[in-house]
Amino acid sequence: MNKTKGTIINLILALGILVVVFPFIYMILTALQKNSYVLPHPQDLFDDLIHFKFYLGNFAKAWTEGNFQRYFMNSLVVASFATVVGVFISALTAYAFARFQFPFKEPLFKIFLISMMIPGLFNIIPIYTVVHSLGLVDTYSGLLLVYVCTGIAGNTFFLRGFFEQVPREMEESVVVDGGGRWTIFRHIYLPMSKPAIATQAIFAFMGSWDEFFVALTLIKTESKRTLPIALQMFQGVHGTEWGLFFSASLIALIPSIIIFIIFQKYFVQSGQNEGAVKG
Amino acid sequence: MLAGLLVVAGLAGCGNASGNGNESAKYNPKEKVTLTFWHTYSDTEKNVFNKEVIPLFEKKYPNIKIKSVTMPTNNLQQQVISAAAGKSGPDVMRMDKGWVPEIAKLGALQQIDTMKDFQKVKKSQLSAAMVSNLYKGHYYGIPNDVNTKIAIYDKVLLKKAGLKEAPKTIDELVAASKKIKDTKHFGIGLGGTAQWNFLPYFWSMGGKLSNDKFTKATGYLDSQASINAVQQIVNWHKQDLVNPAVLGGQPGFWDGIKSHQYLMIDDGPWFYSLQGAPAKKNTVAAQFPTGKSGSISILGGENTVIFNSTQHAAAAWIFAKFIASKEAQQIMAEKTGQLPSNLEAMKQVKASADQTTKQYIEQLGTAKPVIPSGNAGKIDDLLSKTFESIYRGKISVKAGLHNAATQLDTLLQQ
Amino acid sequence: MKNSLPADPFVQAKMSLRQRISIGLKQYGEVFPYLIFGLVGFLTFSVYPIVKGIYMSFFNYNIINPALSHFIGFANYIKVFQDPNVLISLRNTLLYSLVTVPGQWILGLLLAILINAKVTKFKVTFRMIYYIPVITSWIVISYLFKYLFASGPDGFINYLFYSQLHLLPSPINWLENPWTAMTVIWVLGIWKGLGWVMIIYLAALQSISNDYYEAAMIDGAGDKAILRKITLPLLKPTTVFVLINLIMGSFNVFIQVYTITNGGPLGQTEVLLSYMYKQAFQFMDFGYSSALSVLMGIAVFILTYSQQKKIGQSNI
Repeated sequence: MNKTKGTIINLILALGILVVVFPFIYMILTALQKNSYVLPHPQDLFDDLIHFKFYLGNFAKAWTEGNFQRYFMNSLVVASFATVVGVFISALTAYAFARFQFPFKEPLFKIFLISMMIPGLFNIIPIYTVVHSLGLVDTYSGLLLVYVCTGIAGNTFFLRGFFEQVPREMEESVVVDGGGRWTIFRHIYLPMSKPAIATQAIFAFMGSWDEFFVALTLIKTESKRTLPIALQMFQGVHGTEWGLFFSASLIALIPSIIIFIIFQKYFVQSGQNEGAVKG
Repeated sequence: MLAGLLVVAGLAGCGNASGNGNESAKYNPKEKVTLTFWHTYSDTEKNVFNKEVIPLFEKKYPNIKIKSVTMPTNNLQQQVISAAAGKSGPDVMRMDKGWVPEIAKLGALQQIDTMKDFQKVKKSQLSAAMVSNLYKGHYYGIPNDVNTKIAIYDKVLLKKAGLKEAPKTIDELVAASKKIKDTKHFGIGLGGTAQWNFLPYFWSMGGKLSNDKFTKATGYLDSQASINAVQQIVNWHKQDLVNPAVLGGQPGFWDGIKSHQYLMIDDGPWFYSLQGAPAKKNTVAAQFPTGKSGSISILGGENTVIFNSTQHAAAAWIFAKFIASKEAQQIMAEKTGQLPSNLEAMKQVKASADQTTKQYIEQLGTAKPVIPSGNAGKIDDLLSKTFESIYRGKISVKAGLHNAATQLDTLLQQ
Repeated sequence: MKNSLPADPFVQAKMSLRQRISIGLKQYGEVFPYLIFGLVGFLTFSVYPIVKGIYMSFFNYNIINPALSHFIGFANYIKVFQDPNVLISLRNTLLYSLVTVPGQWILGLLLAILINAKVTKFKVTFRMIYYIPVITSWIVISYLFKYLFASGPDGFINYLFYSQLHLLPSPINWLENPWTAMTVIWVLGIWKGLGWVMIIYLAALQSISNDYYEAAMIDGAGDKAILRKITLPLLKPTTVFVLINLIMGSFNVFIQVYTITNGGPLGQTEVLLSYMYKQAFQFMDFGYSSALSVLMGIAVFILTYSQQKKIGQSNI
């Protein structure tokens, strides 16, 4: 009985995978096709697959074209910093809301929440003027500032809940040892909320890794641009070379997958910290 | 970078703060300046521009350095607006013709008709290309390059239609289309229902958008001549003469002609430059077929504009003039296939050009720009939606054009 | 706020205003190092732009020369209610929400429960693969879907369902008719989002203490009963979090519409954000765009706030 059920569940999951993965396979097959401004015939793609006829020129071209590698590194730096700084500041703020008592705390938190409901897309011009008046246009500091700060509301909202579920009794051991709020935060809250913070880190990384609008607006020097801008450059005015565009997109996907693999093991730790994140 | 620019300006002790472009912004040849130039050149164009045109300019004007920046075409308008709003736009930009009046309306661009030598420059350029720089009777840019669409025929289908050469008139095209028509083959190459696609047919068959001053649309867009022109196109659609690409169907515009399913399409020079030799071998390039009013294609291309936020208006103007000059445009034309807006360059290029380029240059002689207006975006949206609604049969030709004309009147007067 | 601190006894007691201010100041002094960075950043980059947007919505706003703007009162707001395109955009946004929120939620929850089941093998692999769409860029995925759903027999979806499986009588022009184009946008939304829902639920599921299950097993409860009586109720706070996020996300649907149809054909697939974007950056009507943005913010707030109230008080 249990065995058939197991088979069915595994089968459903495997079928689902097909649906999720297939678009990517098709993307890879297209990337392995030589020069296609026009739609390739699907049958041709599959025939090439069967005959192992792969063309790697698109990947080579995408990787070496223009400043692609440089943009790749730029993005890596920006996204890494934005993740570390962003998660740290949001954790501090979330801790403030979770474990401190101060006047207007809840109204303030409500404002955090409301701000998330107004579409951020249109904030770009006011944000630009702020960065401009700080003299940070065309700098990574400016870009980081925007990435970190625009994420604060959402991240705080997410982390506060996790912090509040850390049992307060756990603080006592630190207090007994004479530790203050900071020690409690560092030695209890951060480690206890590892799954939440790992999740947050992935989102923060993805958010800045893929961000296009702000980066293009703030960064003026070509050599300082980030990867999403390079991807857009593969979209021509009068036609797109699909193979080239998809090759570049696939290369851009690799760091995200690596980050996910690194963080996911912290992410969900079955059985280890029972009670830390109560449902 | 911007800070760097300011420092440079400061050191030179000559912050040429210029309000609206005027002659007081005199060029000081001793002043060292760096101009930021935004463009959306393709890779080939960028190479030629950076490696040949800019060095030539910098040799002539050793104190002006050009920093050329390639912008992505997606969301470019947003970039321009945010930069201008933050007073940190480029000094000079190569901008789509259609946007100039709109950005000028926002007050971001230098009025250039008071600049030195303006009249001379104006005379040297294709007049239809100058028109696209007009906003409220003043000029805010000069042409950088132009393009237009010509008719491109598939050799195989031409033969099948029993023709030895490309049809000269729209009537001949329609007749040929009827001959080759079946479920897979189509004759008339309308690429979509936007202004850019519809207008060459509309204008050639006698349609008019507005009066010559671009102030009134009623009586023109809804005139009997305009109604007849649009009605023609709708009739072709009803007879299945128009290719499916017009409503986004397959094969696509280029695929259709490549696979010998479309007799004719109309497109710009990029059709050839992107596809190379096979495209030239398999097709015949010809003038847009003639209708009641002649062979009138649509004029596209880019203009060079100077931003109000620049500290170096005079130097920027010198650079803009240089891009419009015969020598610069000739290099671009010969090495990249970009079409010149400079009349002399046009003549020179035509003399030595191949058959297709000759066709493009000839077509430029009668090509018309879209209505230059501070509301160009809204007008484009209005006209394109009107043509699409009519084409899809959602509204009658007469009612559709009448509504559009009334709305266009308001947009033109704002 | 069930889980927050037991109320401070000093606050409870009746105090003079002065006492309260001094306690408040002391509390702020304590929280200051933790709160300040987040608060300043938030005020500068989230609150200020919103306030500016509200301000702009009362003007015929010239974005480049703000001095040339003129005050027009509620005219932009009145225009919102008279603009038929707003209705279409609103309808499409609501439809997107109605289809993709339950779609992502149910499928994501189901996936999480299945992957979490004892009998499932390769849990890590499944979790990894289902998550890939989430970490792929929206822009890339949008182009990919546009490419897969290309019309004619050479579009992959048409190839599969028409040429191979013969489930369609003829190739469909997916993106050229409003309803099929919207279906593509919905499918994309669900496809890309369900991995996120799955991962959040998996985190919650795996942190449910085994004691609960053991106790239930001893009582002889079946799988279904355990799911209904134990698992789902314990997931409730997670559900609130997931739903609020999905609803807010669905109202912010933009890039896929902008990339795939750009609102066409005839503006029939326009959503609120794509319409606002057009108003702002194509027609340069920032005042009107801001008015739309403010109204939308209010609507989303009412919707999610009531949701939060209904499902139960929680900060999650």
